[in-house]
Amino acid sequence: MPKGSVTVLLFGPAREAVGRGAVDWPVDRDGVEARDLVRSLGERYPSLAPTLRASRFVRNGEYLTGLSARLRAGDEFAVHPPYGGG
Amino acid sequence: MSASIRLTSRPLSLAAAIRSLEGSGLGGVTVFAGRVRPDAAPRGRVVALVYDVHRAPALRRLKEIARTAERRFGAGRVVLWHRTGRLAVGEVAVVVGAACGHRAPAFAAARYLIEELKASVPIWKTERARSGRPRPRRRARRAGRSTG
Repeated sequence: MPKGSVTVLLFGPAREAVGRGAVDWPVDRDGVEARDLVRSLGERYPSLAPTLRASRFVRNGEYLTGLSARLRAGDEFAVHPPYGGG
Repeated sequence: MSASIRLTSRPLSLAAAIRSLEGSGLGGVTVFAGRVRPDAAPRGRVVALVYDVHRAPALRRLKEIARTAERRFGAGRVVLWHRTGRLAVGEVAVVVGAACGHRAPAFAAARYLIEELKASVPIWKTERARSGRPRPRRRARRAGRSTG
């Protein structure tokens, strides 16, 4: 049974692919591995999949160096496509 | 060192940037501004860009960039300003500036500031063409286009 949700933040091309800037992703008490969440996002939003392959990921403001991190209810998980300021 | 860092939906003033770069002994002042250009798009021409920012990590990275400019180029004052939201063609999207003792480090510092901002700060832009359809700009296109 879901015990809460992870807030997925989407920017730039990721936001355009999904149609909104944030998605609440339900998780159970064990949470979800970042790798599984990324795969599930690509399955739910196929137009997002190419962007996910080129993105970095940020949990609660900290860049992840891999996708083995465990995400818990209440966490913020941001998708960072290649940057494009200026 | 004094750094002025802004992520704002309000218009950016070049005059205000130059004022922020005033300081005793800072004889070399370089300011760079990037404006939105009406690039060709598949369905017409770009009429606006929409800028997204992930604010907390962006501010953290901008502060790191400012500190590096001080350490590497001796910048006494730094400006790192970026707009957010929708900007029409012609609007100033970004202003960076550096004030140093002399012109050579001021030019080098300003170049460093804009290149690092574009490469490493979590800011994104999406084109709005005349048709109104969104078209995210890809990294390869960004290298030589968009603003500046």
